[in-house]
Amino acid sequence: MSQNSTSKQNRNEPTERDESADPTADGMNIQTDVSGSVDASSGGSWTRDTVVRAEHIDVWYDDDQALSDITMEIPEQSVTAMVGPSGCGKSTFLRCINRMNDLIDSARVEGDLYLRGKNVYDDDVDPVALRRRVGMVFQKPNPFPKSIYDNVTYGLKIQDKGGDYDEIVEESLKRAALWDEVKDQLDESGLELSGGQQQRLCIARAIAPDPEVLLMDEPASALDPVATSQIEDLIEELAEDYTVVIVTHNMQQAARISDQTAVFLTGGELVEFDDTQKIFENPESQRVEDYITGKFG
Amino acid sequence: MAAETDTGAIDDFGQVSRTVGTVFRYLLLAATMFGIVTLAVLLVYVANDAIRPLTADPGWHLTYLLALVLPTLLVGWAVRRRDPAALSFGALLVGTLVVSLMFSGGVALLAIDVVPPLVAFAFWIGLLVPTAAAVALTRYAHRISFTTRLVATTALFYLSLFGLPGPVGDAVGAPALVPGLVGLTQRLPVIPVDGVMVAAVVGGVSAVAVGSYVSNVRDGRAGLYAAVAAFLAANAAGYVGPLVSVDPVPAVVITAVALVPTGAYAWRGAFTEEGSPLGLVFTVTVVGGALLGAVAVDVLGFAGPQSWVDWGFLTSAHSGTAESAGLYPAIGGSILLMTTVAALSFPVGVGAAVYLEEYAPDNALTRFVDVNISNLAGVPSVVYGLLGLGVFVTYLGRSAGTVLVGGATLALLILPIVIISAREAIRSVPSDMRQASYGMGATRWQTVKNVVLPEAFPGILTGTILALGRAIGETAPLIMIGAPNVVFNLPTALGSKVSAMPLQVYAWSSLFASEDFYTKAVPAGVVVLLAVLLAMNSVAIVLRNKFERTQ
Repeated sequence: MSQNSTSKQNRNEPTERDESADPTADGMNIQTDVSGSVDASSGGSWTRDTVVRAEHIDVWYDDDQALSDITMEIPEQSVTAMVGPSGCGKSTFLRCINRMNDLIDSARVEGDLYLRGKNVYDDDVDPVALRRRVGMVFQKPNPFPKSIYDNVTYGLKIQDKGGDYDEIVEESLKRAALWDEVKDQLDESGLELSGGQQQRLCIARAIAPDPEVLLMDEPASALDPVATSQIEDLIEELAEDYTVVIVTHNMQQAARISDQTAVFLTGGELVEFDDTQKIFENPESQRVEDYITGKFG
Repeated sequence: MAAETDTGAIDDFGQVSRTVGTVFRYLLLAATMFGIVTLAVLLVYVANDAIRPLTADPGWHLTYLLALVLPTLLVGWAVRRRDPAALSFGALLVGTLVVSLMFSGGVALLAIDVVPPLVAFAFWIGLLVPTAAAVALTRYAHRISFTTRLVATTALFYLSLFGLPGPVGDAVGAPALVPGLVGLTQRLPVIPVDGVMVAAVVGGVSAVAVGSYVSNVRDGRAGLYAAVAAFLAANAAGYVGPLVSVDPVPAVVITAVALVPTGAYAWRGAFTEEGSPLGLVFTVTVVGGALLGAVAVDVLGFAGPQSWVDWGFLTSAHSGTAESAGLYPAIGGSILLMTTVAALSFPVGVGAAVYLEEYAPDNALTRFVDVNISNLAGVPSVVYGLLGLGVFVTYLGRSAGTVLVGGATLALLILPIVIISAREAIRSVPSDMRQASYGMGATRWQTVKNVVLPEAFPGILTGTILALGRAIGETAPLIMIGAPNVVFNLPTALGSKVSAMPLQVYAWSSLFASEDFYTKAVPAGVVVLLAVLLAMNSVAIVLRNKFERTQ
């Protein structure tokens, strides 16, 4: 696998995120000044810069095509939801953004995906360095069997980041709306928390190293309604600072929290991508309307 | 059949036959019981031959019944009624004491007859100083790059252990310029007495273990106090021991290996939030009853059983008569062999398992290796003996029957089992956790080091101990590599001839075959072998239970 050979580059990761001042210091060579002003093919008027731009992404698992010809742009500091029936490839697309699909032997990705203007599928991109800029929260809460404190600092430690860890832990847990519940038990295992708390701990862990994009793969699907609504509130707050991309199969959730919605339908095809309001009120495609109103899927 | 009335109400659902199921169930029970009962009968038969409880005075039995058995049953029943968890803690504490006393016997044997205390002390100093330096380097200088740190640490260890130019220079005949810390320590003008040096080494290890245990349960400060207390206790034992006619070295070892850890466990079970002191009542009853019984039979003059497993059997070498034959060199040989086997098979086996589970690409070669590891686990041990003889003795020219050759051969024998069990443990780490780690931008090495290995470690350790249990009972490979049937002294170096417990038992039952040896020495040897095996397995079981609880 490719990340073995490239992992030694990670030590060069700068501790300050100031790549415009020192663009060559890290493995990815991401340029911040590339404008995201390419017109979105499916319409809509973005006022903010594009962070992620996918062009003609195809993904195969062995011979099964999971995504076909996905082209879309994800704007900065907003919540972008991906909805669609099971097996439509929305999670696969999410995992294309931080190249988690690399970890699956049978997966093959074609096409280009730009993160701030740099194609993450270029040969010189170290997927490990990429993942340090893109946080991820998974469907099932998966804290490490370590203390709450060590869970939050895990990313900082492996990325060799300095700083006042106590302060970062407090800050991250506060942003994840968990601080008040756990501030007296930071030394206890993260596995002793309830499911909703664990998921918020995972969010705190993901934002502690201060990533640029936060990917969430159905983060609330394993949680009860109260925990779900806490997570939803949290996502809306996080979007003030981060670009959040969330996969969900809950239509109401997408409608409630997202700014843009991408609808994937069976066969791994992106049928429509637009402002959430437009998708839910006046979709262009009949298939999307059928799906959203529950006629199929 | 269901009977319905006119109104549609049911008054009988009828019956479904379960005859076949019932028969099947009892057949399964019979199969289970057959195996267990057969083994139990065999073990009781051998134990009876070895320990001969019926040769004791009836008064002896009566005394122990009153002092130990009845109080144990009564107190156990009472404690169980109040709190079943307390009873299991109390019983575990008794088990911990017994097993750790056995282990301290093994360590004492090493300290008295195998490793001179000065050598152990010198190596302890020689390892402690660079380890402390390496820890400090990691903690306070984490801005230095990993490679620099690795080189510096390696250089420190090399310097401390060998000095300059060390083995590298020896190869080309260069004179030793700078002695290593190990050499320096051994040439100190003033050497502490044996008890103090053993206390430094064994007590030091014990203090570190107890300290980290206590700091896990409570906090770092308590852990530090516990470590200091444990270290002081081990040192004090060297001076207190002679007052109760125990030599300083065994006193130190028993304190550090058995009493201190048992004490830490007792503290945890009795005096922390989730514990209860009730369990201690049971432990005190059992231990106190055993001591009381021993004093009572002594005072009343009742003769105990004329057991073949006695102190003389455990501490003397083979002899021409079965009555005075002992197992001591074989016990020591088995301990040294196990140490060698563990040192060789653990790193290689775990390394292979980590590679195969975490790194190996899924290709034809990997699958080929996969299949063959399972096959190798089933290869008869005599074939491994032949392999050891061919490779280590004939090809590499080591002398036959030594600790190193025997240990290496047994390590090869259990390597497939270690690999398979370690892989199993690694595979049981949820893939969610790996995903989380990779998703954070961890490299494969960081994921393995921080997530996979800590989580899989208890399972790996359990599998390795069970595999060692297999190695300790092996006779055939040792015969093949030419281990002597009878050894009168403990091996003191890796190149010394070694015997082992099963080999000694085999020799008694074949070379010295006579009615006497059959009925006296052989059962006694088997009982000791089984006791050691049981002690090792109990450690594995405790580890596994702990592992399952944290899941």
